[in-house]
Parts: sequence; structure tokens; C-alpha cells
Amino acid sequence: MALAEKKGGLLRKSSASKKPLKEKVVLMYDEIFTIDDPSKRNPRFWEELFLMKVNLEYLEGKLEALDGEELMKIKDNINCLFQHCIQALAEEHPIRVVNALQTLCALIRGVHQKNKSTSGFDIINMLMGFDKAELCMKNLMESLDALLCAEGSESLKSLCLKLLLCLVTVTDNISQNTILEYVMINSIFEAILQILSTPLSRREHGYDAVVLLALLVNYRKYESVNPYIVKLSIVDDEATLNGMGLVIAQALSEYNQQYRDKEEEHQTGFFSALTNMVGSMFIADADEKISVQTNEAILLALYEAVHLNRNFITVLAQSHPEIGLMTTPASPVPTTPVTPLGTTPPSSDVMGSTELPLDADVQTSNLLITFLKYSSIVMQDTKDEHRLYSGKLCLIILTCIAEDQYANAFLHDDNMNFRVNLHRMPMRHRKKAADKNLPCRPLVCAVLDLMVEFIVTHMMKEFPMDLYVRCIQIVHKLLCYQKKCRVRLHYTWRELWSALINLLKFLMSNETVLLAKHNIFTLALMVVNLFNMFITYGDTFLPTPSSYDELYYEIIRMHQSFDNLYSMVLRLSTNVGQWKEPASKVTHALVNIRAIINHFNPKIESYAAVNHISQLSEEQVLEVVRSNYDTLTLKLQDGLDQHERYSEQHKEATFFKELVRSISINVRKNLAFNTLSQELLLKEFSTIS
Amino acid sequence: MGDAILDPAPGRPLDKSSSPASQGNGGTSLSVITEGVGELAVIDPEVAKKACEEVLEKVKLMHGISPDCLVKQSRRSEAEAALRSRVELANGDLGQGCEIKCLDDPPGTPSKIQEEDETVANTVKSARRRQKNNSAKQSWLLRLFESKLFDISMAISYLYNSKEPGVQAYIGNRLFCFRNEDVDFYLPQLLNMYIHMDEDVGDAIKPYIVHRCRQSINFSLQCALLLGAYSSDMHISTQRHSRGSKLRKLILSDELKPAHKKRELPSLSPAPDTGLSPSKRTHQRSKSDATVSVSLSSNLKRTASNPKVESEDEDLSSSTESLDKSFCSPVRLAPEREFIKSLMAIGKRLATLPTKEQKTQRLISELSLLNHKLPARVWLPTAGFDHHVVRVPHTQAVVLNSKDKAPYLIYVEVLECENFDTTNVPARIPENRIRSTRSVENLPECGITHEQRASSFTTVPNYDNDDEAWSVDDIGDLQVELPEMHTNSCDNISQFSVDSITSQESKEPVFIAAGDIRRRLSEQLAHTPTAFKRDPEDPSAVALKEPWQEKVRRIREGSPYGHLPNWRLLSVIVKCGDDLRQELLAFQVLKQLQSIWEQERVPLWIKPYKILVISADSGMIEPVVNAVSIHQVKKQSQLSLLDYFLQEHGNYTTEAFLTAQRNFVQSCAGYCLVCYLLQVKDRHNGNILLDADGHIIHIDFGFILSSSPRNLGFETSAFKLTTEFVDVMGGLDGDMFNYYKMLMLQGLIAARKHMDKVVQIVEIMQQGSQLPCFHGSSTIRNLKERFHMNMTEEQLQMLVEQMVDGSMRSITTKLYDGFQYLTNGIM
Repeated sequence: MALAEKKGGLLRKSSASKKPLKEKVVLMYDEIFTIDDPSKRNPRFWEELFLMKVNLEYLEGKLEALDGEELMKIKDNINCLFQHCIQALAEEHPIRVVNALQTLCALIRGVHQKNKSTSGFDIINMLMGFDKAELCMKNLMESLDALLCAEGSESLKSLCLKLLLCLVTVTDNISQNTILEYVMINSIFEAILQILSTPLSRREHGYDAVVLLALLVNYRKYESVNPYIVKLSIVDDEATLNGMGLVIAQALSEYNQQYRDKEEEHQTGFFSALTNMVGSMFIADADEKISVQTNEAILLALYEAVHLNRNFITVLAQSHPEIGLMTTPASPVPTTPVTPLGTTPPSSDVMGSTELPLDADVQTSNLLITFLKYSSIVMQDTKDEHRLYSGKLCLIILTCIAEDQYANAFLHDDNMNFRVNLHRMPMRHRKKAADKNLPCRPLVCAVLDLMVEFIVTHMMKEFPMDLYVRCIQIVHKLLCYQKKCRVRLHYTWRELWSALINLLKFLMSNETVLLAKHNIFTLALMVVNLFNMFITYGDTFLPTPSSYDELYYEIIRMHQSFDNLYSMVLRLSTNVGQWKEPASKVTHALVNIRAIINHFNPKIESYAAVNHISQLSEEQVLEVVRSNYDTLTLKLQDGLDQHERYSEQHKEATFFKELVRSISINVRKNLAFNTLSQELLLKEFSTIS
Repeated sequence: MGDAILDPAPGRPLDKSSSPASQGNGGTSLSVITEGVGELAVIDPEVAKKACEEVLEKVKLMHGISPDCLVKQSRRSEAEAALRSRVELANGDLGQGCEIKCLDDPPGTPSKIQEEDETVANTVKSARRRQKNNSAKQSWLLRLFESKLFDISMAISYLYNSKEPGVQAYIGNRLFCFRNEDVDFYLPQLLNMYIHMDEDVGDAIKPYIVHRCRQSINFSLQCALLLGAYSSDMHISTQRHSRGSKLRKLILSDELKPAHKKRELPSLSPAPDTGLSPSKRTHQRSKSDATVSVSLSSNLKRTASNPKVESEDEDLSSSTESLDKSFCSPVRLAPEREFIKSLMAIGKRLATLPTKEQKTQRLISELSLLNHKLPARVWLPTAGFDHHVVRVPHTQAVVLNSKDKAPYLIYVEVLECENFDTTNVPARIPENRIRSTRSVENLPECGITHEQRASSFTTVPNYDNDDEAWSVDDIGDLQVELPEMHTNSCDNISQFSVDSITSQESKEPVFIAAGDIRRRLSEQLAHTPTAFKRDPEDPSAVALKEPWQEKVRRIREGSPYGHLPNWRLLSVIVKCGDDLRQELLAFQVLKQLQSIWEQERVPLWIKPYKILVISADSGMIEPVVNAVSIHQVKKQSQLSLLDYFLQEHGNYTTEAFLTAQRNFVQSCAGYCLVCYLLQVKDRHNGNILLDADGHIIHIDFGFILSSSPRNLGFETSAFKLTTEFVDVMGGLDGDMFNYYKMLMLQGLIAARKHMDKVVQIVEIMQQGSQLPCFHGSSTIRNLKERFHMNMTEEQLQMLVEQMVDGSMRSITTKLYDGFQYLTNGIM
């Protein structure tokens, strides 16, 4: 928006100074901005107006320049303009329609920009007049609906969507945009669905349609009955849902691709410049972020679809050979932007061709895989606001997925194996490579990997407590499913265990800092209960008996951490204070882990003493564990396999409100720019017709 | 013998003129009655009497030359027993033949009758002409044709060998008398003759084909596919080619659908049928009802539900839409052809991918898209019952092992129905509406949660007036409040409060032993059956090893259609880029041998698997269930075949092992004979399957008869008999090995007895064929020689011994060679 304003301003200045002769449309605008009725002098005024090419900058600027009272004076003329715009939409000649659409855009935006503080009702009055508003908007929506559904020009449809987006995002807080009440009454939901269900229109307008839908769904979603929510939740037409999935997948994979390109650029540049580089500098380099604009709007659309529509879950697993086919020929292209000068060295071609078959997921992917990759990129860094929003939303979506029965069924489907290249943050103590020969596994492994990755990489001072809680919840939900359905996943659980133990360690070592801001006991309790889940229900979902032994081994090996945790929670639960209650919960939850440690440690020590070994090998410890199970008694804890279901209404409303606000602003910003380029497109259009 | 006896010259031209007429009438009148006996029973006595008199009239005219006609007429009603006795009186011995025919024809084969009226008339004409210079010998031939021994195999044989158009035309008409299933078996032969032999044969066959096409959509499809496949070897410009393809076009154009003939009927209804008009009319109505439902959703593409239309309206509009379609465009076969085409297209695209893994992934994703178009009016031609395909459980599909092509195995969920044409296509049930979850008792709450979720959003509650409550909140607050989530949530699961986690002290604590958990874990894993390990290079091994029943159960549980009582699971291998015509030939021979052995009560076991030839380079195969290749067995189990048997079936003395061993021997003997007679080559372990009962099954008949893989001089022995096989049989001296040899002998004797039935199948298919198995000129002669007609049974026994020895020697030679190499290499 800022950009547009500046541009508009510049144009205006130059035109004012250099060209005293105004174009006709500007003169006509000036007439509207007088108190007199322009059609008095020229009865064909309105007809002529829509034949003129719209001067958006001028019109908007003019509206902005007026203050509230001045605007009220010319209210009749504005109302008249608005009405005639709507009338023009029904015209046969596309030029009139185009001009009317653009004029509407300018009107709505111009009036709003000036009157940010005024209530929605005043704006409606200003634009249409209270008495006529209902009919006016009805006609407008009907015209738009007709245009969107007709077999007409694609750029017309595009402009319709832009107008709708403009209308929806014109206020920062979508729920305060009272005009949308009319959009609720006169639903264009069906038109949006139709766009999504046909391949051609989906390709052209899918993105706008999906974003529009996501925003409309969020209009006063907690306060009133939003028909878009109701309608979206019952859509079961697969073509439409798939179309929506494709649009989302396309947008997310574009982001992934951009990120990968940037990263490659980054690395190749980096390596060519400095060959001998110490690890610490590598980190420093990685710290200057590879930033690609995140796309919360599309993520919100994904969330709403997953959350509201239970049929959409099937779309997640739906593969898109369509995308595959589109990216396969395109995939050699990324090698060229690396060398923008056009002098592509032959070596990069070779590299490109060897890369291609290795990257198996280029050929077949599905929305879920694309989404997981996107999440892995976005969650790398949660410091900046957009990324935090994105990361949180990703985890919320994953929570919804992890709760869904059908989604779980295909996540755990042994026949659906995929290779998911998650992004891993470069870190000092681990190598980044080696992800090219990932095994092909059920998708749930990728989800777990992503969670482990998150746990390991976010132990920082700015501790993202909320995200951690969500992350552990997701793991818990997956485990609950596995336990219920007796799915024995061949996953290296050890990675998860050590990540969880490290998390506990981190919580303890930063106790004082963290306690000032967060209730770390909630998180600690969840982590400990994950272990309890493995300990008491391991027989139902662990892949092998030896993995159960390994669990014990890991607990015994890291017993120091559990001991420390126990002494900490014990200390806090005996003190009177804020943390007494939550800390004592953790003490109780630790009972089995402590029993294991207390049971096996003496056995291991005596084994070492008897055999005169100072340091026992893993195999020896496992041997001790195996032979001493029978004398260990555990306490059965209730409710380990219970989890509360995700509920947006009570817990997440604030987050979504903020998110939608940020998305609205963002969409509006990008829209202003897009509408301008749209004009160029329309020039072409006008010459054709 | 037939052609030698008959004097062909005078009859021919006249017959030619009569045949087209028979086609025309035969084609149009057949719909008059399809209910056969049941309906005819209502005929009033007057009419019956009249008909009887007509028949007698004819009998008199024919002087017993065409008792066949009489037979057919008499079949028209059980009530005509009296007539039959009169006929018997008039014409004793022929009446007898008629009696036999009546018994032969089960009452359940209706719908031929009215057609036969026409054909009878023709036969009468032609017979009358023949009669003029008839010799006594001809009546002998006719008596043979009338005898109960005259079966479909003989009919085919005479059709093929006779040069006499009259005989051909006669047999063409006689085809109507055989059971559909019997004729179906010879369909490839019939069509090959139609394509490649002279016009008389073609003209004789055509009415029957047309008639059957009108009856059955599946038959139409098979015909169209086979006609295409068997025409492909010919030069495009040849005249004959156009005959085969003309018929194909006719079938595909859908002019043979029942709806069409209904309209033609009134003008052409032939005289003898007038008496039957009441029943005809009622029947006509039922027919038209049928056509309406046939055309419902006649395209593969489901009528996409328009979101703007309410559901009731949708039903209405879609039905009227497709009704219109049924009257203007011929689409009866279109959905099925589209279905087949898309399966083939998948195969083609898979072939371009380099690795198994990519192929598998691609296959799954392609099939999931295919699922969107199902259910549809499509079926699997390899199945033995009427059904509609409702879903392809895409995640179960596997790519099979093949070097450069991409055959794949899919499982197909179908709903069985009474009549493919008249039953409506089942309604689509969305994928995620899983009726029963993986194991119902484990997931009691899952069904509820779905419903809850749905209902909570379809009736969105009105939360007016509390906008302040959320508008001031801060994100950070959420975190602190976390423990309270339990109490806030209104869900079933989380009714459960925080206390229950922490307040165990207040309750009676439950203790469990860690040892028990560990033990349960190892026990549960031990109880899972010996499944194969997942191998990305051999994805099919796991899928094929899983017992069929278990797979059916598993897929049924996961399917939204699984709860329906008529739900069935089928499987099919889709082959793209392979010529299955030889496989089809092998299937026919195997089937023939199987029935011969059954008839002769030789307990040999072979498993012919169904083949659908789609074109000269594509097709479908019905997979053998519960069977994996010996290669996979050995690779996965790392055991010898005998040890694998012991592992799978139990110890030497157990009932299970002995049964499996007997099955192995019986199947081994069967396939050894098949391999010998057909000269099946390329017998490596990947081409031999082992099923769960211990049977071996040979697959891949790519090299049979005159063709063999170029590289090998190895396979000189009559069949493959490895030491491992002999070990499973209990060694060279065991009883089972002797039993094996005895079975071979019995099998060979039985096969020899019916050699003609086997040779005929192959011989007819040689017509006009470029298949490699017919390479050279001596294919048939060599095949016949392998039956050793001139040998005594003792000599045959010697032969079997020799062949077994020869096969054994070739192992010993190999072993010796191996031993040589090893010793020399090491020493």
C-alpha cells in the first residue's frame, strides 16, 4: 500500500506540474467531487464515465484528500457513482465492467483509508447510503457471482476476485468490516468453489479464491453464524476439495522451492568464496537468515480446510502428479538462476541432471509432504513475528491432523512410504548433509522427525513454550493412536527419547529464567508422561522387544537428569508457593521412572563389581536390564493415553484474531501492487475487444 | 471326416444367399422372449397346438434331416411332451435324439429360443437344398451332430475343418444350443476363425456373436478386444482385416445394445411368433425399464455434484441427463473402455520411472486419482460374477518385478450384483467414512469423534455478546492456562480431569510388573505370522505373501464400502507392453488339460489363471492368490525349499506337511506334463510360484511351443525338476516320488486320449498368427508327436521314466559342473 501511495503521489505531482491539461476521466472525477449532480449537465455522464480508462491513483488520492465532512457533502454523488458502478457490472461490454470494477476498488479503498476510525456503518452510508445499501450490495454480489461463474474473460474474473479481496481486507480487523455482513447474506461461496473445481480457473484464480475463502471464514467467526464456515464444513465434492488442496500445495511448494534456491545460492556462493571455513563461522553465516516471505494466508486456508472440513483430510494424502508433472520439466531451471549472467558452466548442468532422479519427491508428492517441508523451514526460526505465526499455525494444523482418525490411518499406512526431505537447521555439532539417502518410510516418521527436530533446535533463551507444548501434544496424540491401533512403527525412538531428556535438562538448567515467564512444569509433566506411555504401554506399539530394553537403557543412562528433575520438583512442591501444585504433579508422574532407576542402578553396579568392570558397555547394561525385569513392579498410571481435543474457540481465538489481522494487512499490501499490474493486463484486453 | 463325405459343390451358392438372411432375422428377433420356458408355459393351448402342427409339417418336409429343428421347437414348452411322443412315433430314432437334447439343455438357458426359430428356418432351407443331392453318408454326419456326444469341442473342430458351407452354417446355428460358458471358452478360436478364415465360416459364426453381444456387455467387450488383438497381425490393407474390424466397430458403436433392437422389433417380428404377442409385450416393457437403468450414469465420469444444486435436485438432474445420453449417444461400453485405458496409461507412465520405489509411489498416487471416478459402470472382465467396481484401495497396489516394463497388481473392491446392466451403480461413499476402524474394539471413541466434529460445525453455535472476552486476551496467557484445558474441554475423552493423573495415592494403586510388559511385547511379536520383510526392490513380495483372507479382511475394514454385504475383493495384474495372446493360449490349454484330467479322474493339480487380452501389447491377468514366487521364498526365508516347507507347514510327520507335500507332488506332476506338452521354457524360480497349500504354479508362458529364449541351451530337459523339488517330494527313493511318476504317466495317458481337444485349441489359433510360439511350420506336428499316440502304455511309462531321468540328469550334470568348479577353484 505504501508503495502504491508513493507511486500515486509521484504521478500526481508530475502530472500536475507538467501537464496542466487534465485527461477527461480526471475532469469527470472532479465533477463527481462537486456538490452538483454531474448528470444534470450531461445526461450521459455515467455512461461515458465507464468508457474512460480508470485513473485509480487520482480517484483514490482525491478521496483521501477529503476529510470526513467534505466527504459527507458529496455523499450523494459518491452514492451515485457506487450505484452506477454496480449497474455497469451488468453491462455487456467488458470495458465498462472492468472500469466499474476498478472504480469500485478505488472507491472502497479511498473511503476506508480516510475513515479508519469511523464505524463500519458510516462507511456504508458514505458509499451506498443506508436506505439503498442492502439492495446495492445484493446487486453487487449477484453481479460478481455471475461474473465469476460465467464463461467470460479470465482477467475479468481475476478483477472480481481482487475487488472482493479488496473489500474483505479493507479494514485491519476483518470482524469490524461491517460491509462484509452483506457478503455473508449474499454468499459467493459457490462461486469460489466453482473456481476451485475447474482446472483452468483454478490455475488462474485459485490462489485468490482460496485466500478470499480463508478470510471470509474468519469474519466474526466466534461471534455469529458465519455461513462460510457452515458451508465450508459440509463441502464433500472431491474435485473442489482437491482443487483447493492443489492450490495450497502449489503455494507451499513454491515457497519451499524458493527457499531451497536461496539456500543453494547462499551455500554455493559461500563455498566458492571461502573454502577453508571454521565451523563457528558457518553458524554465523547461517544466522543471517535466508528469508523468503512466508505465506500465512495460504496456511490459514489450509488450517480452515483441515479444521472445518472433515472430507479435506483425504486430500492431504492425495498425491498430485499434476504438480509433479509441472515441476519435473521445471526442475532443471533452478540451476540457471544460480548463475544469473547466463554463462552457465557445464558442470552445473551435470549436477542438475544427477540431482533430478535423486530427488524422488519431485515426481510424487502430496499436500502433507509439502506441508511438512514447509513447516520444517518455517519452524527453523521463530524469532520474527511472521515466522512465529507460521510456525505456530503449522503446529496447530499438525495437531488437527494428529487427532484425525483417517489422517492417522494414512500417516501410519505401511504401504504408503515416502521420502520426506525435511529442512534441518545447520548446527555446530551435526552435519547437514546425508539427507539424500533417507529411507522411504510411512509419513508419520516424517512428522515425528519434524517434532524431534523442533525439540532439539529450540532450546533458547526466548523459549517458545507454547510451541513446545504443542509439539509434545502432537507426539502424544500420535502415540495414543499407535497404542489404540497397535501400530508398531519401525522408528528410531531413541532419537525422540534423547531429545526429550535433553529438553528436561534444558528446563532444569534454565529453571530460574524460564520460571519467570512460563509454567515449565506443564511441559515437564507432558514429557515425563510421554516416557510413562512408553514404559507402561510399550508392549502395544514398540516395534521389537529390544526397543523396550533400549528405553530402559536410555532412562538408566540419563538417570542424572531425572534425578535432578525429581529433586527440583520435590523442592518446589514442598515449599509453599505458586508452583507447589504443578510441581507435585510432576513428582507423582516420575514414580515409575524413579522405580526403574532405583531398581536397575544397584543391579548394574553390583554386576560391574562382580565382573570387575569399571565401565559397562551398552550390551552389558542391556543384559542386566533383560535379566532383572521380573523383580520390578511399576505403578499403572491412569489417563496416559488420553488427550484433550483441539478446540479453537476457547484457546486460540486471540491468536487467530491477530493472525487474520496480519494476513489482512499483508494481502491488502500485495493487492495494491497487483491491481496496478492488472491494469497493464487490461490494456491488452481492451485492444483485443 | 466331414468334409470328405459331403459333396460341397451344389449347395454352396444357395447357402450363401440364405446366410445373410439368417443374420438379419436372427439379430432382430431375439429379444422377443428371454424368459424362455417360464413364460412360454403360459401359452394358450391353441397356440401350442398350432406350433406343434407347424413343426410336424416341417418334419414331414425334412424327412428327418433336421430333427434339430424339431428338437428346438419341442424345447419351447415342457407342455409339449405330447408332441414329442408324436414325433417319436413318426420318426423313432430321431425322436430319441431329440429326447436326449432336451435333457442336455438345462431349463436355465433361455433366450435362445426365438433366435432358433429363425435359425431353424434357415437350417431347414439349407438342409432342404442339401437334401437334393444328399447321400446316405450325410445323414451319418447329421446323426453325429445330433448325438449327445456332439459337444462344443467337436463343433469347433468341424467348423474349422469342414470346407462345406452347409456344415459350417449348420454348426453356426448349433452354437446357440450350447451353454454360454462352454462356447465362451472357445471364443478366441471362434473369433480367430472369423477374422482369418474364409467368409463362409465368418458368416456362420457372426449371428451367434451378434446375438451374444446383444445379451451381454461383458461378451461384447471380450469380443471387441479379441477382435482387435487377433486382427493386429494382419496387414492393414487386407480385406479380411476389415471384416474383423468391421465387427469390432459394430460392437463398439454400441448398435448391439438391447435398447436398439427394441425399436426395430415391431416391423420385423416374424410370423411364427405372432401367437406369442401377449408375453412379448409384457416382456418388452420390462426390457425398456432395463435400458433406462442401464443408461444411468453411463459414463465413467461420475456426474460431478454441482455444489449449487441441492442433493435431491442433483439426483434428478443427473438421472435425466444420462437418460438423454442413452438415447443420443452410444456409450454402453465407453466407461469400461475408459477404465481400461486409464489403467494402461498408468502402466505406460510407470515404465518411464527409474526405480521401483518411484514406480510404487507413482502408482499409488495415480490410483488415488482414479478412485475419484469410481464407482462407475465398470467391471473386471476376469471376474466370474456380475459386479460394479466401487473403489481401488490404492495403497495396496504394488509394482511387480520386471526389468523394463511396469506390470502392477491392483486390488479392486467391487459390489456383486445380480445383473450388471440393470443394477444401478452404487452411490459413492467418501473415503474417510470408515465404517469400522482397524480393530473395532480398540477404537471405541473414534467413530464418535468424527460425528461430534461434524455436528459441531454443521450447527454452528451462536456466540454473540462475548467479543470482549477474547479481544483483549494476550497470546501469552494461553500458556499459563494450559493445565485447565482438561476441565474446559467438553469432549468425551477429556471429561477425564487432571486429578486422575496425579491423585493415585487417594485411589487404590494398580501395580504391574515390568517383566509382564516386556513378555507381552515379545509374545505378540512372536505370534505374528511369518510375514516377509519389506524390500523396496521387491515391493510385491510382502503384498503377495499376506494370506488372501487376511488381506480381504484388512481392506474390507479400511474401506468405506466394506460394510455392504455384497462387497467383494478382486485383484488383477495390469500388463502394459506385453502380448498376452500366448498366455491366453496357454490358459486355454491348461484349462482343457485340467478338465481332461478331472474327467479321467487323474488327481493332477494345475491352476490356469484367467487372461484378458486387451490388445496385442496389453492385457490383464488374474493373479494367483496366496502364492509367492520360489525366488521370493528363497530370498526372503534364506532356506531351502524343503526347510521352508517344514517351517511353513510343520514337521515331516504332521498332517499339514504331508498334505502340503501331496499338493506339491500333484501340482509338480501336472506342471511337468504341461511344460513338456507345451514346451514351456524360461523356467526360472521367478516364474514358478508356491502357494500357501504347497502347490506350485507355473506362470509366464512367454516361451511355449516353437519359441524359446535364444540364449539358452540349458533347458534341454523335458521340464524343470531340481533337486530341491525332489527333496520336497522326499527324495528319489521315496514313495512320493514314485507317486509323482505314476501321476505323470496317468496324466499323459489321459491327455493322449483327448489329444484332439488340446491340439485343436492351438491349431485354430495358428491361423493368421505371427506369434512366436507358432514360428516354423512344424509346431502342430511336433505338438501332436509329444502325445505319442503310437506308443503302448508300457512304452509311455518308459518315456516318463526317461524324461524324469533326463531332467534329473541335467541337474546332476549341473551339480557335477558346480562341483568341478568348486574343487578345481579351491584346490
